[in-house]
Amino acid sequence: MPRVYDLCARIQNGFRARLRTIAIPDTKMNLAVSNILYHQGFISSVARGNYKAPDEEYTPTTPDNIATRRLWLTLKYRDNEPVLTKMSCISKPSKKITFTVTEMKSMVSGRRAKFVEPLQPGEIAIVSTNYGVLEIHDAMAKNAGGLVLCRAR
Amino acid sequence: MELIGTLGKLRLAALRLSRGNLHHASKPLTNPTLLRPFSTSPPSLETSPTQRPLRHRDLQTSLLPDLTQIDPVLDHDPSPPSTLDHGKAFRTNRPQSLVFNAPMEDLDESQTPLTSWEMARLLKKSLVVKRVVNMNGKGKQPSMYALVVVGNENGLAGYGEGKDEEASRAVRKATNRAIKNLKYFERYDDRTVYMDIEKKFHATTVFLRSRPPGFGNRSNHIIHEICCCVGIHDISGKVIGSHNPMNVVKATFEALNHQRLPEDIAKMRGKKVLDVQHVYYGAQ
Repeated sequence: MPRVYDLCARIQNGFRARLRTIAIPDTKMNLAVSNILYHQGFISSVARGNYKAPDEEYTPTTPDNIATRRLWLTLKYRDNEPVLTKMSCISKPSKKITFTVTEMKSMVSGRRAKFVEPLQPGEIAIVSTNYGVLEIHDAMAKNAGGLVLCRAR
Repeated sequence: MELIGTLGKLRLAALRLSRGNLHHASKPLTNPTLLRPFSTSPPSLETSPTQRPLRHRDLQTSLLPDLTQIDPVLDHDPSPPSTLDHGKAFRTNRPQSLVFNAPMEDLDESQTPLTSWEMARLLKKSLVVKRVVNMNGKGKQPSMYALVVVGNENGLAGYGEGKDEEASRAVRKATNRAIKNLKYFERYDDRTVYMDIEKKFHATTVFLRSRPPGFGNRSNHIIHEICCCVGIHDISGKVIGSHNPMNVVKATFEALNHQRLPEDIAKMRGKKVLDVQHVYYGAQ
């Protein structure tokens, strides 16, 4: 079961505290979601690193150093405002929400689907599909439905 | 003469010149009391110190402080106090905007950028008029409080509060203050908000939801009036929590004020923004 609530909380809190960089656990799910946020322009960079700092040169992940591995995200601000104000989970362990492509289309065009608030201008949703973790528009382009993980604005 | 140094010789030379030694070949210098080595303009012979124009054109003699008198606040009063009761050392004055029952001055054109014709054409709505009481040592002092929202139905709107013994005068004070507080609010397509807004102000939460053209102004009566004044024609508004009218007004204005425009979001995220509605459906 993909758990993104930790990532949502860390990123939101980091932006609220006006931090420059945050370190999150180095997992495939975290990396996938961070990549989507980076490509959408919410964060400046994603880098692998130590618990102290991002790696200066490439360090392979081995069973010896796996406990110290982190993903470092550089947060973005403009005009004294954070670029990402809210990142919240949609699908929870208590209530899993899976969308078909039709439901995704209605959510994106401003109508609600399955008790999920529609997307506002400037908001994105991240979906876990058979093609991997994608942004909702990319999932629609691939005609793939899936579990709606989280939304970010 | 050898006892005097170079400076002394220079000073003597200046004095000799200043005594109007017109037989000297050099330019005659003026009276030494008017001579100011740092002045940029040449001193004239005719003007006295009081008639001479001050160095900065915005300075006026009437505005200069009268340093011959002792100021009760700025200067230390050296005389001992006449009584044992000490007076106030500082002048206590609240800013005029917070005093709702200050004496009223009707707005004229010099105080706002609007013309009096435009001010008359503004849509004015008094949303809250109520009787308030100030409890004193003398007893209950009743007065009327008014909250007025003013707008030009084209983006400009503002609210003002006023207090007076009579309701009509309180409403007029509030209207004047509202006109002074006019602010421009962004609207999408000049008919609705850009996106759904949720704003919490004290115990009042206000939801403003953007709606398609032709939907109409379907909201709480206070939000409805404010949106009419701003010129928002299609909106769905809801108040959750406290419905206190004063707080609903303030919450709505804050919500409209803190809108995030899609252009700003695009700039922040480094993306290109395209209005699909206008491109696809050709909305004007």
